[in-house]
Amino acid sequence: MNFSDPSTLLVLVPLVPLAAAVLTVALGRVLGRRSWLPAVAGIGAAFVCAVMLLSGMAREVTGVGHDQPARPVEFVTTLWEWAGVDAAGMSGAAPQAFSIPVSLRLDPLTATLLVIITGVGLLVAIYSIGYMHGDPGEPRFFALVSAFVFSMSMLVAASNFLLVYVFWEAVGACSYLLIGFWFSKSAAAQAAKKAFLVNRVGDFGLAVATFLLWMTYGTLNFHDSVAADGTLVPGILGATRLADASAYAGGAVGTAICLLFLLAACGKSAQLPLHVWLPDAMEGPTPASSLIHAATMVTAGIYLVARTAPLFVACPGALTLVSIVGATTALVAALIGTVQNDLKRVLAYSTISQLGYMFASLGTGTLLGFTAAIFHLVTHAFFKALLFMGAGSVMHAMGGVIDMRRFGGLRRIMPVTAATFLAGALALAGVAPFAGFFSKDEILAALHSRGWADAHADHHEGLPADGHAAAAAVFRLVSSPTDAARISAGPRASTLDALDTPATFRLLFWMSLVTAALTAFYTFRAVFMTFTGPTRVPEEAGHHAHESPPSMTVPLAILAVLSAVSGWWLFSTHSLATFLAATPSFTAPAVAASATPAVFHWDLAIQGTLAAALGIVVAALGHLGRRSDGPQPERFLGPLATLFANRMYFDQVYAALIVKPLQVIALIAAFVDRHLVDGLVDLVARVPLGLGGVVRHLQSGIVQRYALAGVIGALLIVLAVVARAMG
Amino acid sequence: MNGFSPSTHLVLTIAAPLIGAGIAWVLGSRGVAAVRQSAAVTTLVTLGLAGWLVLRYLAEPGTAAGLPYALSEVPWLTEGIFDVRFSLGLDGLSLWMFALAALLSVTAVFVSWDAITDRPVGFYVLLLVLEAAMLGVFAARDVILFYVFFEFTLVPLFFLIGIWGHEERRRAAVKFFLYTLAGSVLTFLGLLAIVLWHASHANVVTFDIEALVDGTTIHPLPMTAAGGWLQMVVFLALLAGFAVKVPIVPLHTWLPLAHVEAPTGGSVDLAGVLLKLGIYGFLRFSMPMLPEATAVAAPWLFGLGVAGIIYGALVALVQTDLKRLVAYSSVSHMGYIVMGLFALTPVATEGVNLQLVNHGLSSAGLFALVGMIYERFHTRNIASLGGIASRAPWLAVFFMLFTFSSIGLPGLNGFVGEFMILLGAFQRAWSGVSPAWQFAYLVMALLAVAGVVLGAWYMLWAVERVLFGTSREPPRGGQDSGQDAADHGHAAATADRCDLRWHEVVALAPLAVFVLWIGLAPGTFLRPAAVAVQRATAAPAAAFTARMQADSTGTAVQASTP
Repeated sequence: MNFSDPSTLLVLVPLVPLAAAVLTVALGRVLGRRSWLPAVAGIGAAFVCAVMLLSGMAREVTGVGHDQPARPVEFVTTLWEWAGVDAAGMSGAAPQAFSIPVSLRLDPLTATLLVIITGVGLLVAIYSIGYMHGDPGEPRFFALVSAFVFSMSMLVAASNFLLVYVFWEAVGACSYLLIGFWFSKSAAAQAAKKAFLVNRVGDFGLAVATFLLWMTYGTLNFHDSVAADGTLVPGILGATRLADASAYAGGAVGTAICLLFLLAACGKSAQLPLHVWLPDAMEGPTPASSLIHAATMVTAGIYLVARTAPLFVACPGALTLVSIVGATTALVAALIGTVQNDLKRVLAYSTISQLGYMFASLGTGTLLGFTAAIFHLVTHAFFKALLFMGAGSVMHAMGGVIDMRRFGGLRRIMPVTAATFLAGALALAGVAPFAGFFSKDEILAALHSRGWADAHADHHEGLPADGHAAAAAVFRLVSSPTDAARISAGPRASTLDALDTPATFRLLFWMSLVTAALTAFYTFRAVFMTFTGPTRVPEEAGHHAHESPPSMTVPLAILAVLSAVSGWWLFSTHSLATFLAATPSFTAPAVAASATPAVFHWDLAIQGTLAAALGIVVAALGHLGRRSDGPQPERFLGPLATLFANRMYFDQVYAALIVKPLQVIALIAAFVDRHLVDGLVDLVARVPLGLGGVVRHLQSGIVQRYALAGVIGALLIVLAVVARAMG
Repeated sequence: MNGFSPSTHLVLTIAAPLIGAGIAWVLGSRGVAAVRQSAAVTTLVTLGLAGWLVLRYLAEPGTAAGLPYALSEVPWLTEGIFDVRFSLGLDGLSLWMFALAALLSVTAVFVSWDAITDRPVGFYVLLLVLEAAMLGVFAARDVILFYVFFEFTLVPLFFLIGIWGHEERRRAAVKFFLYTLAGSVLTFLGLLAIVLWHASHANVVTFDIEALVDGTTIHPLPMTAAGGWLQMVVFLALLAGFAVKVPIVPLHTWLPLAHVEAPTGGSVDLAGVLLKLGIYGFLRFSMPMLPEATAVAAPWLFGLGVAGIIYGALVALVQTDLKRLVAYSSVSHMGYIVMGLFALTPVATEGVNLQLVNHGLSSAGLFALVGMIYERFHTRNIASLGGIASRAPWLAVFFMLFTFSSIGLPGLNGFVGEFMILLGAFQRAWSGVSPAWQFAYLVMALLAVAGVVLGAWYMLWAVERVLFGTSREPPRGGQDSGQDAADHGHAAATADRCDLRWHEVVALAPLAVFVLWIGLAPGTFLRPAAVAVQRATAAPAAAFTARMQADSTGTAVQASTP
């Protein structure tokens, strides 16, 4: 393959699934029971293209030694001008052209994510052939899954912040339609609406961040582009700006942009305090949960922060807040997950928690932190998709029942599902040598290196281990060509920067370690409750509860293998980290300077393993081999168990503090509208009626006289006004 | 075959509905089928003519530079110093609204297909006269002609609401008529004042809009105490009519009433085209002719726009009547347009010009769908509706599409305009106002962005209640179950299906095409209008910037003196 121009392949990756979606809708009746065909073929073709892109990209990147700083690799292709407004007519101090090209990009980060999106998407589509079989909405399901793969591929391939916003909302719309897939169930319809609205709060952040970026940098492109008059417009994440250590806004404006990005990421990736939509989203079909609400869409927030790494490292306070939000979410979601009895909800809280890990890692601001987050994103996509599909397989066999108290001992009925689920559970719990062990270890290492910088500096013998030093060096002044200088006058440190201390990261490290133990506990609690103990089947399942068909078990097996070996393989070769380091965003001086050689942290590995072992042992003591419908061992937690079981009352608090007050205000507004505003109008309308009584004697009934009076009156008024103006 | 000149083409397009109205009148004795068929053919022919004219417009190289197209001038009253002409033409400001009026007229006829059985001749004749007036008002290049068409849009709609409306139709029609008339009389006085002012300097009483724009540029209306603040007075007079028409909060209360009582076809034209006349008036008259006054009023109207966004959305949130909810969503969406217009930045004003079309498409589509739901279930009460998606899947698909368009989902048309308006407003707040104004502007711009969340809230709440869930009321009204394209549904083949009929698909599909087209390639629609919009808003924008600079240097001086 000639890799100098991968644009065809890059366009095909989103285009083929889009075509599949359109085909599925258009040929709905012709395809009949084979409505899965376009989706599977289309996403499969996209996967092949994505793998070719990845291998081509990998060849581009290699050739650089491990000890050398990575050279940025990117490729951008512009398809058409989406919308534009000339700068010519713009007034004000800083005229800025508004020009939005539809540009796709390819770099290591995009290539990696494209393979994950299309790969997991393909497995989910194949799995759904069996899972959705016989559902009257089958064509709609496959059309939506294809549309989602299209939108998600575009989201990670877009090279412009406005396009990112477009597909950020587009994946949200696909998610809305898939959560509400069984729309006649009112719980599903409500969950869909809730997901959309909570995400809209996040979108507010992304929209305002986009506005601020445009005002500060004068463009919304990632890449450098050439303006109509031939001048170079440095893109926000383009080579020109990346080479300049002081090209990114710090201070109030920079921090505001980053915090707004964080708000957006919290919405899409279900982080505190906007996580409340994800558990409810489990009303959707399980394969959709697996693809969208576990493996791909919810990682869009991770992608956004990773992509804008240079912006974040210029604002240490905001960056630290990313870590704090992440680690706190990880802990809170894990606590809530320990007492959930709905298998899918356990996994949903687990997803929130694992995404929290990734944010904690991103917030360290070091190259290790960024690559570890993406590494965990990749392994998590494998094992969480696997666990969701396993849960779906259970649900399929149990006649739609997903409450773990109502079944048990299923390993005898569904051996393949049980074995693959166990593989996923081991990976999630972080047991060596499964995938999650390695990626979680890297995240702990990233946090550790910020909390105990000295120890790491010794360890790595003088290498610039502390990313913070480099980050602080960058944190100077914006040198933007536009308005930024006027607005963010001077390098005012944001008060948030006070958060950025080693003590913070030490605390976050310990929180993450506790979360690791909790993760192992709730994971194995679910495994034991579902697959061990006496075999019980709910009556909804009928008398023929059985293992799922091969179309479902084969994707499970593939993901199980990936969950088992991908971590070891990607870690031992260090291929992913090296590859990702060539992503332009990670070659910003402040990020690249924090590069550390790949080391296996024995101390951290032992701590992590001990935490996981503790969780598994406690889960085994409580649940191994017991009937899952008995009294729950967790009740010894007392009021805490109630708190966790009620999801810490987030929904209730939001209802009381936001929804209800707004509804009351709306009722008042409606009352004012009806009686005050409209009442006033009616009152004014009555005045002529009253006057009519007085001047009734003028009423002659001759229309011409009225018209004449009207015209004369009008002319008199106008003449008077004009005369006064001229006189 | 460009056998006839563009001028003839334009006149013919405006005359076509009038000819069709005559034909419908003649066919009146042959029954409702003949009348509605002739009306349908008329609107389709008119749409064909208008579409062709738009293509010819786009093919003409001069138009992109802002030259008017398809001019025709017939002297009307040119004795002595008077110069009134019957003068028509299209330019960037009017092109898309002209096309939209032709498009929505087709929708208006096809949604009335089964709904109107009482006195159909009168109904369709009035609908066609309304179409001619809507086409004419955007093509008029003479103040008198504009005003004649402007008022002429009022009369047919008054009768459409008053005769074919619902329970409270009389009250609604009278309120709508008097409210709008009261405003537009003031507007007319204001326009006359501009004409007289120009006449006093140019010694010719011309009503030609272009001449007036040029004239007021050379001799602007006085904005000083010595001149009696004439420019401000005239601006306020114009504002009275335009603000009622838009409507700008708090002058909006005629709108929900008129919409709720109007027949569906009337609502489609009212929401889709007539509300935009107010904004069109600002762009055509107030902004180029009275730039300093516009600059003075801009912050206040910007604020009223934001108030309309939030207020309209909040009131929509607690409506129990689906049509009222859509009506208040129009109040909220027109708030965005007002805000964007008075942000006076190129990105925002070009967004406004596009959003006029976008809101026309989505609100017309939603009103049409509400009418279809009413025909099936004889209620618009949100609490008694439900589960429509399983009984009428294609109706649900269109409802979702127009809802998504309305809440600004990317990829559809509403997003483009909304995003440009918000971006432009934010740009104004961030770097285009004096420090004294900046905080207020920033708060307003952020509130406007937050309004996007509220907008999604009430629309998706309505969707959840009306389309999703289980049905609460069986369909009534004796239509046969799904036919034609309607029958695609795979959902459980329930006995009580009531999906779209062919004429309803004809009414909605063209709107859906443009919803997608504008969303995917907005540049096609932005480009032809860009020069005209920027020209119309350049003077007030410059005046505003000058005011703000004076303001900030003023405060700087004040700050440095003590």
